[in-house]
Amino acid sequence: MTRTKVNLAYIANDSERKSTFKRRKKGLMKKAEELSILCAVDTCAIIFSPYDPEPDVWPSPLEVQRVIAKLRNMSPLEQNRRMMDQKDFIRQQLTRLSEQMAKQQREIRHKEMTNVMFECLKGKGFEYLNMSDLNDLNNLLSQNIRAIERRIKLLEKRHNGGD
Amino acid sequence: MAKKPSMGRQKIKIAKIEIKNHLQVTFSKRRSGLFKKASELCTLCGVEISIIVFSPAGKVFSFGHPNVDSIVDQFLSRNPPPNTTTRHLIDAHRNASVRDLNSQLTQVLNELEAEKKRSETLDHIRKLASQRKYWWEKSIDELGLNELGQLRDSMVVLKKNVTNQTDKLFVEGNVNPSPFFSANGIAMVDSAEIKPYQMNASSTPPHVQNIGYGHGFF
Repeated sequence: MTRTKVNLAYIANDSERKSTFKRRKKGLMKKAEELSILCAVDTCAIIFSPYDPEPDVWPSPLEVQRVIAKLRNMSPLEQNRRMMDQKDFIRQQLTRLSEQMAKQQREIRHKEMTNVMFECLKGKGFEYLNMSDLNDLNNLLSQNIRAIERRIKLLEKRHNGGD
Repeated sequence: MAKKPSMGRQKIKIAKIEIKNHLQVTFSKRRSGLFKKASELCTLCGVEISIIVFSPAGKVFSFGHPNVDSIVDQFLSRNPPPNTTTRHLIDAHRNASVRDLNSQLTQVLNELEAEKKRSETLDHIRKLASQRKYWWEKSIDELGLNELGQLRDSMVVLKKNVTNQTDKLFVEGNVNPSPFFSANGIAMVDSAEIKPYQMNASSTPPHVQNIGYGHGFF
């Protein structure tokens, strides 16, 4: 399938929507089956669409009933604990993404500071840096100094241990 | 400080995963991915879906649009849900919230992608720098003992000066002048000096002379 970016909104064009539905429904069922087999877990999927009065299901209506029974046999608390609608799920995704974002920004900060450090080593002054930048630079230098000293120890050990 | 490479896209056999740890990680990721696909299908095609998944530990995860219980009831009873005005109002309200959340999602995804590109650009800059004539910008694994010692000494001196500057700023009460980083966050400098760091003014002259390690430096 082509890696075109999809706009997350209702597809207005009827035929496009129908073909997307067929394609993605097939993919969804496949993914459900893979999860079920790979992890040896009970899974089911139920889809109601305007294209069919009967729901599309996986694995089979009988199996779906069995999984539903297993769900409904649990306490209401357990059933609801990990039950999500679209809003819940998207909020969860947003939380996950903002964590990734924070991590990414930390990495970028580290890389930018490394550039600054090398520029300073070349002789560029650092009077223009503010307190927070200076502290980060200081920490980065400590980190690097420690790493170099570890490396020096290792090389010296190898050199000496050679006899 | 190198990132551990992930395994990337692997073709796997569709059979029960033997290693418990792998199974659990796979379950977690694929369950989330399955719900994501379901959520997208609901939004794109306006259909109603429910997915029920039991975890290896026996906990139950479920996803449903509009909600798990109504879909399950509809499946069991074979009756379509009542077509009331209240239901329409509730649906409309919910769909509006979901639309909002989806736009937020798209926005954050775009921002994340932009930050990743920025990170890759910085990696590229660092890679180019380490291949050029400044031997000390190479990875420390490529440096010899003598060079390592010099680099470490230069850094110690720089660190001391940075600390002095910090103290100076603190005393002056000048904690936050305008931040260093511009919008694209890349600071480049044009320096004629190609030596490791030396202290300003009246200090010991740079101690980097002929090293004789043959790394192709100045």
